Parts: sequence; structure tokens; C-alpha cells
Amino acid sequence: MTLTIASLLPSLQNTNGDAENAAVLAARARWAGLDARVVAVEQAADLPERVDAVVLGSGSDASLDVARERLLALVDELRRWGTEGVPILAVGTGWELLSWGIERADGSTVEGLGIVAGRGVPREHRIAGDLVVQVPRIGLLVGFENHARDYVGAEASPLGRVRAGTGNGRRSGQEGVRMGDVIGTHLHGPVLAKNPVLADAILRRMCERAGLEYAPGARTAEVDGYAETARQAQLRAAGVNAAV
Amino acid sequence: MKYAPAILVGRLVRFAARLRKPGGGSAVPGLIVNRIAPGYLKSTLSGFPQGLVVVSGSSGKSTTTKMLVAILRAHGEGVFTNPSTANISQGLTSALLEQADWRGRVPGDVAVLEMDEGHGALVMQGVDARIVTLTNVMVDQIDRFHDSEMVAGMLARIADRAHEAVVANADDAYLMRLAAALRPEVAVRRFGVSADVLAAAPRGLGHTETSPTRLDPADGVVVASVDGASTVLADGAASVPVGLPARGTHYAVDAAAAYATAKQVLGERFSSETAAAALSAIPAVFGRGERVTVRGQEVDFVLVQNPASYQLNVDSIAPGTEQVLFAIGSDVRDPSYFWPADASSLGRVSIVSGSKAAEAALMLAYDGVEIDRVEPDLGRALDDFLAAPAPASGIKTIVFSADSMRRTRAHLGLTGAE
Repeated sequence: MTLTIASLLPSLQNTNGDAENAAVLAARARWAGLDARVVAVEQAADLPERVDAVVLGSGSDASLDVARERLLALVDELRRWGTEGVPILAVGTGWELLSWGIERADGSTVEGLGIVAGRGVPREHRIAGDLVVQVPRIGLLVGFENHARDYVGAEASPLGRVRAGTGNGRRSGQEGVRMGDVIGTHLHGPVLAKNPVLADAILRRMCERAGLEYAPGARTAEVDGYAETARQAQLRAAGVNAAV
Repeated sequence: MKYAPAILVGRLVRFAARLRKPGGGSAVPGLIVNRIAPGYLKSTLSGFPQGLVVVSGSSGKSTTTKMLVAILRAHGEGVFTNPSTANISQGLTSALLEQADWRGRVPGDVAVLEMDEGHGALVMQGVDARIVTLTNVMVDQIDRFHDSEMVAGMLARIADRAHEAVVANADDAYLMRLAAALRPEVAVRRFGVSADVLAAAPRGLGHTETSPTRLDPADGVVVASVDGASTVLADGAASVPVGLPARGTHYAVDAAAAYATAKQVLGERFSSETAAAALSAIPAVFGRGERVTVRGQEVDFVLVQNPASYQLNVDSIAPGTEQVLFAIGSDVRDPSYFWPADASSLGRVSIVSGSKAAEAALMLAYDGVEIDRVEPDLGRALDDFLAAPAPASGIKTIVFSADSMRRTRAHLGLTGAE
């Protein structure tokens, strides 16, 4: 069987390359000797019959309303995936759109799809920089954040604890949200390439549901070597001692 | 006479700066003159008899500015222009000081300035331009601007300074919306590509949003065809063949932008033959497709500045090029935004280098590119890359970010035109 990774609205939600996380999952599955494909889902008609994982990246604020409209057509599937344990990775504004909603700085709001708890609220200054998060059973997630909103309401189910950077903000010391196999995060860009442990946790979950075995391939080890060097450099830059 | 004391101070500072850093330019004299004579920049920029032309946009503004200056000079115009590194106010004032006489007057009929889209709105406060030329809106330098709307907003503020005309890329939907919102007395001139040229670009033109329709040659200057490093511009009924400084559709678009702007500047004095000859005579720009012989090896240099140019430049490297050195430096703080581009056509890269070597290797590996070696030390990477025998197929090709380009030039002792 072929593992199918749905990349939702890549034409709108790939500003920082977050949609590429779908390709990262597919590549790692192939290196493990499995069949995998990425299906771009711009509208309900594009939905494949079976979905093994979902990636929704971040877009620009100007496209929030149109992205919400298009996601609304997929809300039944998103709810079903969430309850059935299909891994969903949502980044930045994509995550916010799956939340209860978004408050804009001008006081207007965008209603979310209500898949995960919490909402985006304006912060005084845009934050852009390194973000390092300690995640239980996963370890340190390393990446970049760039957002003009904080996230409140995830205090009971954060993805992890901030070691460097801002994360959800409002002095929560927390980053992201995790509800079952649904993950929302500010870590933008190729977070799964940079954090192979998280990628493999998602792949194991996909394979478990599909009745497949996942064992990383030889190429995976080679590529993860690049990731490790990049992670160490960024941890040094962010002033995080990985041993602690 | 009013600015003579400030100019004198600026000159003395420049002299002092040169003693400290021989041959180097410095923004410090401009900083000081801007402080003691805050009106100098504004009044000087507004004082050229043929007015001020500003070129801005996400990418292509450097090349477009150079091309425009070449066309105007070929028509006998005296042109003041800024080096591309001096496009914020103190650098601009320093550049003016280089040319100024003791009273601060700068010779020239017309000023053509390349303006950083981020700083331009501020620099242009209180300065009226005769013509503003806008190249495109691309997702560029995300750390700085975050998104395209912000870039479009900054360009709109620059465009608002134009009192005669705005020359804009008709293929860029953001710029067309911006042009539609201009005051009615400001003319809009357009340039763009033909349907054939768009169809031949493997991934489009790289605009954040491409206009749904193509420009008719009756309504502006159209890139009718591109063949390697030459193009044909359609200007009304006329077909104008032009040689480009390097291969690539984006250079043809830059040429169309410069051509359309020059036509607006010169009016009836504009000659398409003179413009074509001037464009064709522009030498290749370092790091932008130029072929150089270094240490007895022919090398192509390819500069990567933003996701769009990354994709265009990677696409322009001939498939099967055997030896590629790929160097990304500290100027690319967060390489995330390069990930949507597809570099799989490279197939194999000999050495990945630069301070962001590991990040670059990770990105290339997920594009399916084979990597022979990761060597963060750029000097060593360059030495080994150039020492290896010439490839059996293709030309040794060095792809680099701006920071790695500077280090490469320094390491190889390459100087010359920026």
C-alpha cells in the first residue's frame, strides 16, 4: 500500500516552506523502503480516498479569510482525522485557523475551525528568531519562529516548554499545542527535516495505523547527519545547552 | 552656497574615512551631512533638470537601474546614479558627495536611483520623483518584511512620490493593483512578457501573484521572445532585438523595464536603436551568470538572493553539469523560505559549503540531490573545487549567497565591477 500525505492549501500556506514537511515525510518513508506520495489538496475535490497524515503550513495574514473559506469545506474530514488519530501537523496561521479563532490587532476576528483548543491573539511586536522547544518523549525541537500573535488557551496541552525564543508568548513559557496526534506549532519551515525524531514519531504513527513497519533507511541516517550539524549550530546560536 | 559648510565637513570626514580604510567607500560622511544639513539630500535629488527616476521592487532593480543608466547615457544624457550598495539615505548622500562640487551641486541632467523597497519610503519622504519604476513583488528576505503585502505597501508609498509616471510590471498582479490606485494625473506605463515567454518559463516568473492576462505590445513594452542571452522586445509595431548580460528571462524583463522607463524619460528623443545598442553592450555582472577563468579553470558564478532567483538560477544551470559548489553563508539566517524551490535538476553537488553548509545540505538532500562532500570552510572548499580536473561535461559552477560571494571574491582575489 502507498502512504498518502495530504498537503492542505499549499498554494496559500507555504510562505516559509512549511508545506514541504509533507515531502519530508514522503522522502523518509521512501528511504525506509515504503511507498509514499504527497497529494496537494486545494479543495475538497482533490481529497484522496485514504489519508495517512496531514500537513498544513503557514500563509500570509492577507490570505487568512480565503484560507479559512477553503478549509471550511474540509472541516468534516479534519474532525474525523483528528479523532481517528491521523497525524496532523499545522504551522503558524494554518494552526491558528484550526484553533477557536484569531484576533487581529485591529479588533476584528477570524473564526477558526475549532479542531484544537486555544486562539491567536495580537502581540505588541512581531517576533522572528530561533525557537527551541523541549518536548516530552521527543527531545529538543529546533527551528525558527516568525509571528505577530501569541497563542492562548493551550496551557493544558502544549507541545512543549520553550528553551529559547518566545513560542506561545504571554509569559506562558510554552510552545504549540498537542491534542492526540494533532500538533500545532510556530516552528516554521522544514521542522520535520530539522527534527528527525518528530518526523519519525509521526511516521511510526502513520505506519502503525496502516499496519506497516517503519525502520529508517541508510539514506535517512546520512541526511539526519546534516540535520544534526545544523541543529547543533542553531542550538549554539540560541544559547541552549542540549545536554541539560 | 547654503550647503557649502556641510559639504566641506562631509569631504573632511570622507578624507578621514579613506585614511582609515584606503579605497573603501563609507556611509559616515553621508550620515554626518544628513545630520548637519538635513535638507541637502532632498534639495539635491529634486534639483536635476530632467528630474529624478527611482527604480524599486523586490528583485531586478540593480540590473534595471544599470540598464536604464546605460540607455540614457547612450542618448547623451548626463546621469547621476547610486552604487547599488548605497540605496539608503546616508549611503545616498555619501554617493552625492562623491560627485558634488564645493557648493554641493551634483552635475547631471537626470538622477536615476535604485531604491531599497524597505528604506525607499523613508528616503523619499518629501522628495518628488518624476518617474518611479517598479520591477516586481516577490517574497523576499522574510526576516525583514514577512510578507508580500508589506512589500506591496512599501512600494505603493514609493510610487506615490511619482508626479509624472509610474512604470510597472504588467505581469505582477500586486503592481497592477497598485497602479490602478494612483492619482489620475500620474501616467502608468507598462512592460511585461508575451504568453509564449510565460509558457516557456518552467515555473512562471516568480511573482507572488501573476496577472491573469498578458500585456499587448500596443499597450507597453513586451518581451516577445527570449533565446539564451538575447531577446526581442515588442514596442508597438516595432521588434527590437537586444543582447542580454546573461541567460535568463528575468534579464529580458529587466531590459524591458529599462527600455520602457527610458522611453518615458526621453520622450521624442528616445531612439530604439540607440537603446538596443546600449543594452546589448552591457557587460555581464559578477555572480549573475558570468563566466570567469580562475586558476586556469572556467567557472560560472550564480548568485542566489531570494527564493525566486534561487529557482530561476538553479533552472538555468544546464542539466548534467558535473561539478557544482553550493555555498550558503550567514546572510541567509533562516533558509526555510528556500525550501519551496526545487533543486532536484542539479542531480549532484560536489561540495556544499559556507557557514550554513549543513542547512543547505539538508535542503538539497530532500530535493533528491546527491552530495559528495560538506565542507563548511569556504576557502578550503574553493581550493579543492578548483584544483579538481575540469569536468567532462558542463562548466564548473559555483552557486552562492551574497555573503559567500563576497568571501569567494576575496579568497580568489577577484575584483572588478560589482
